[in-house]
Amino acid sequence: MIVIDSHVHPIYFEAICADEAALRFRTQQFGVYKQSPYALEETLTEMAVGRIDKTILLPLDISTRFGGHIVSNHEIRRIVDTAPERFIGFGSVDPNRSDAAEIVEQAFTELGLSGLKLNPAKQGFRAGDPKVRPIYDLCVKFNKPIIFHSGMSWEPDAPAAPGHPLEFEDVAAGYPNLRICLAHFGWPWVRETVMLMIKYPNVYTDTAMLYLDSPVDFMEQVFTRDMGKLTFERNFPNQVMFGSNAPRFRAFKLKAALEKLDMKESTREKLFGGNALTFLGEKGTIC
Amino acid sequence: MLKRTTLTVTSAFPTQMLRLTEDISSFVSTCGISEGVVFVISAHTTTGIIVNEGLSCVETDIQDLLTRLVPGDLPYTHAHFLPSYGATSNNSPGHLKSTLVGNHCVFPIAGGEMVRGSAQEIYLAEFDGPQRRQIFITAMGE
Repeated sequence: MIVIDSHVHPIYFEAICADEAALRFRTQQFGVYKQSPYALEETLTEMAVGRIDKTILLPLDISTRFGGHIVSNHEIRRIVDTAPERFIGFGSVDPNRSDAAEIVEQAFTELGLSGLKLNPAKQGFRAGDPKVRPIYDLCVKFNKPIIFHSGMSWEPDAPAAPGHPLEFEDVAAGYPNLRICLAHFGWPWVRETVMLMIKYPNVYTDTAMLYLDSPVDFMEQVFTRDMGKLTFERNFPNQVMFGSNAPRFRAFKLKAALEKLDMKESTREKLFGGNALTFLGEKGTIC
Repeated sequence: MLKRTTLTVTSAFPTQMLRLTEDISSFVSTCGISEGVVFVISAHTTTGIIVNEGLSCVETDIQDLLTRLVPGDLPYTHAHFLPSYGATSNNSPGHLKSTLVGNHCVFPIAGGEMVRGSAQEIYLAEFDGPQRRQIFITAMGE
């Protein structure tokens, strides 16, 4: 079984932490404090503890609203190059930029990145805005998926409304060949996320959520009470990916909580890695 | 006279006992203090400093005892979002084990060397790993 953590923000990866001002900006904009840069060896050790084979690394371009990047596309490329067999790099673009299409094309061609991360709440746009369509068109053209931040965000200056799952329905319906992930189960709008997954097979979500309580308590709440105990594996077993939201939450602890949930092993394999491969367009190459 | 250094170690597992004796002993031998004491102090709240016999069976029994005293699956209060961290706390067992074990130990220095019993080994006990950890070593004397 391959295990892929589909949702990691590499803001403290040592390979991109030499510039103190950039690190300070990144910390403040992402809203994670009291952590220090860690070496590649530490990241790989933590992956080993969780028996996690690969990790999807997410940047965010917030140049229009905040004048910089939480992590840039070039920084993602630099990190991936330190352990290309373990890391899968995504790109990002601020849709408000006049050169957004060029940035996306560069991410997929020159930088060889595997998908796109967008956060309407933080970046200041609505997913259904026509100005974003050229970006969606490019993702379809290059067969690259998009991970949208969805639901509540702990980041400062990131209101909840643009991340409501219903904000993404026009994209799901209008681009049936575009795979989109409404990350974090759209929490707290779990039922709305479920509705979109059963209606649109190109809609995915991930488990990068620990908004309340302990990992075990929270995953039980989402997977057995917010949804029925069999809802996931009966209705959309191919559309939920394991994700951690590290460094906000530790991947091996969330994975251990998911391992305690009752489900068929074949479904668990999809959750932990199989669905991420499909989302990435795998069975082809990933980088 | 007072001499200080900081050891940095990286744990590889959620719980682990890492031997520090050799590093501390070498610092004492070269720090220039002939008679005095050396303090070994952890910089963290989910680790401990333990002195005990350097046998793997003893290490296992210590870790098993602490797990019996502080199980991982109790409904701890320290399991919620912490705005000051921007992260969710879920490491209460580490904090509690750290409280039980304590954060430091002290050994005499005589003739320019750290003095310890023949069975005594100094450990950093990791309770919330894997993580990079720091241990402050302070030698005091003349």
